[in-house]
Amino acid sequence: MTVKIITDSTSDITSNLAQELGITVVPLTVSFGHEHFLDRVEMTTDDFYRRLTTEDIFPTTTQPPPGAFVDVYNELVKETDEILVIVISGKLSGTYQSATNARDILKGKCRIEVIDSLSTAMGLGLIVIAAAKIARSGASLDGVIDEVSKRIPRSQPVMSFDTLKYLAKGGRIGRAAGLLGSLLSFKPVLTIRDGEVAPLKRFRSVAASMDYLYNFVAGFTKIEELAVEHATTPDNADKLVERLSAIYPKERIYRSTVSPVLGTYMGPNVLAVSVLEAEGK
Amino acid sequence: MKQIESIGGQDLKDMFAAATNWLEKSAQDIDALNVFPVPDGDCGTNMLLTMRSSIEEASRAPDQNISQVAQAMAKGALMGARGNSGVILSQIWRGLAQSLNEKETINGHELAQALLQASEMAYKGLSNPVEGTILTVMREAASAAQKQVAKGNGNVISVLEATVDAANESVANTPNLLPVLREAGVVDAGGQGLFTLLEGALLYLRGDVELMQFRKPRVIASSIPVTAHPIQMAAEEEAFGYCTEFLLKGENLDLDKLRKKLQSKGQSLIVVGDESTVRVHIHTLDPGNVVHYITSLGTMHKVSIRNMDEQHEDFLAMQKGRMPAVDMAIVAVVAGDGLADVFTSLGASAIVPGGQTMNPSTKDILQAVEAVPSDKIIILPNNKNIVPTAQQVESLTDKSIEVVPTESVPQGAAALLAFDYEADFETNAKLMTEAKSGIKTIEITRATRSTRLNGLAIKKKQAIGLLDGHLLAVNDEPDDVLSELLARIDLDKAEVITIYYGDDTDEAEAERVSTGIREQHPNLQVEVVSGGQPHYNYIVSIE
Repeated sequence: MTVKIITDSTSDITSNLAQELGITVVPLTVSFGHEHFLDRVEMTTDDFYRRLTTEDIFPTTTQPPPGAFVDVYNELVKETDEILVIVISGKLSGTYQSATNARDILKGKCRIEVIDSLSTAMGLGLIVIAAAKIARSGASLDGVIDEVSKRIPRSQPVMSFDTLKYLAKGGRIGRAAGLLGSLLSFKPVLTIRDGEVAPLKRFRSVAASMDYLYNFVAGFTKIEELAVEHATTPDNADKLVERLSAIYPKERIYRSTVSPVLGTYMGPNVLAVSVLEAEGK
Repeated sequence: MKQIESIGGQDLKDMFAAATNWLEKSAQDIDALNVFPVPDGDCGTNMLLTMRSSIEEASRAPDQNISQVAQAMAKGALMGARGNSGVILSQIWRGLAQSLNEKETINGHELAQALLQASEMAYKGLSNPVEGTILTVMREAASAAQKQVAKGNGNVISVLEATVDAANESVANTPNLLPVLREAGVVDAGGQGLFTLLEGALLYLRGDVELMQFRKPRVIASSIPVTAHPIQMAAEEEAFGYCTEFLLKGENLDLDKLRKKLQSKGQSLIVVGDESTVRVHIHTLDPGNVVHYITSLGTMHKVSIRNMDEQHEDFLAMQKGRMPAVDMAIVAVVAGDGLADVFTSLGASAIVPGGQTMNPSTKDILQAVEAVPSDKIIILPNNKNIVPTAQQVESLTDKSIEVVPTESVPQGAAALLAFDYEADFETNAKLMTEAKSGIKTIEITRATRSTRLNGLAIKKKQAIGLLDGHLLAVNDEPDDVLSELLARIDLDKAEVITIYYGDDTDEAEAERVSTGIREQHPNLQVEVVSGGQPHYNYIVSIE
């Protein structure tokens, strides 16, 4: 039986792709006051940013309840006896906890392993995509875990932010805290390092930060998977993909949008590229 | 005529102590020899302060032979080197000290040899030596000393006389070698400073002490007391001692007398009040001495004595959280509270106050480097004249130093922003150096005197504009000069313009200027920041 792969909605894997690769996505929740929406299910990226930029309410987010994982596990147990759950960094969300608690509730009806990806957005998404492809090729759960473990340190999201306001307000600023309080405006470029947000560079213009994203990708000689995602600027994402097509087949670049839950911290105008480096440089 | 066959360490020290006092008398005149009518690098003052540090160190020489004294003086010059001319002077001392190594005393022949080595060392210290400057004066003076020895006139005085005469001619000739000097109608300030020093040394050696007391190298004839009063430099005051403040209450207090008495006890002295109550503020190494004196005059109230080193350390501890990376730190030289805040907010760990009119010494920068708790330090001098001073620091500390040779505040800000949080020290220095090249800098200031330059007729106090250090525009108002210079740049390729307005420019005026730019160039991002810099109405970054 094929190993089933589960992830959370911050992986930014689109529903079409999830369906195609047989990935189950468990949504987190984003809330505007007393209104709650399942991430990517009950609220799209566009709807989210429309509300974020027009309303005074500051949204909040919550991890999926263990019950959400229990339901998914129970559903999948009908088709498989091996499940691998790969989730957002435990330093950014309690999703890992929900997934493991749910596993303990099931008490061994099926073998379930939960892995902390130490990443999020397409940094997580690309690991999940790779895992799904390996699982479909017939690998055992241990085999898939082995391959995933090797890929976790090789996957990196690089994100150009418009503002750090949302990251700071949401308490996820991590090692990028030193960037706050600047008297000159700049576009910060951040990554996820050891499971938390970390600074990479600062640029005075969007054009310069986009150059950096391109050059970041161009610095790799072997790429297993590549993704580009945006929040509110599809044109910039298109431009970046167009540039990247000179060095990597365009049809193999995964395109996505930042999920509402991540958007709560990233704010508008974020543009991100994620690279899963291939083994053996 | 007086003849001296040889000189020892004490002679060397005494003749240059006298020469330093001689230089002091004309330091301001030498400052006035600025080629550019911008508040320039204070060449005379810089050389004077460098020599002071040299003489001070000489008294700490373990032995009074000429080798030890020269070495101490070289060390003092190196630590106290200020500005470009100060750094070259320190190279000259280094060359002299090397040549005098292991000698008890020297004769005229050895003096000539030492001058030659000093000249060679001065040239070696610069990656791009320019003729018509202090370098040429040193070289031609040293060469004249050699010739004098070859003629058989080997006594010290005759060698030094030949040296001074040649230096005199060489200084007079500098406008023929450097077109900017010719256009401004002045001689080179650094060359003039060196000549004055050599002349002072000769006068002392010849025994013309009375002449030195009652005359002056250039204009103003007055006898300045031999014990020099310290020139106050903000950068130097802050780093040591106790900030002592109190109210003195008494009867018939004589403020002038009080001020005079306290002046010898410290720096940053402020004495205000009337004959019954006086408020005093002083930075002193010995507050006990001050208290002892004051209590003899009346009663002390609201006494506050704070250790400035501690204040400084508290400040550094506060800054630690801002540092870009634990093992690396950035030290930046800027003038103005606003600019200091900008650089700190962008991650600079320490700010050395200084700029165009106030070049910090090597020691000032070294202190900042030693004070930050990182072993790898990147220095941003942010001024052309401070780059060589900063470069001296590397040889004086165990820490690893990279100087990113930023020549303006905008270049410094761009370099700082280019810091890569995951790259190593060397890579960062490279990235930061590359980043400064994409920046254009406009500086708007007032002319300190009337002159002609680059075909422009400039009247004193008119607004003048420099684009990347080149004076290209003059007009009555700073705004007009700024517009004129912006019109010269292809702004279609620019993305961000940052306007740092100075301490004597209002925010409203700066906002007006920025609105004008935004209207003309709607695609540009224009930022207005309070720089608080002295002398410059605007410093503008175009990137």
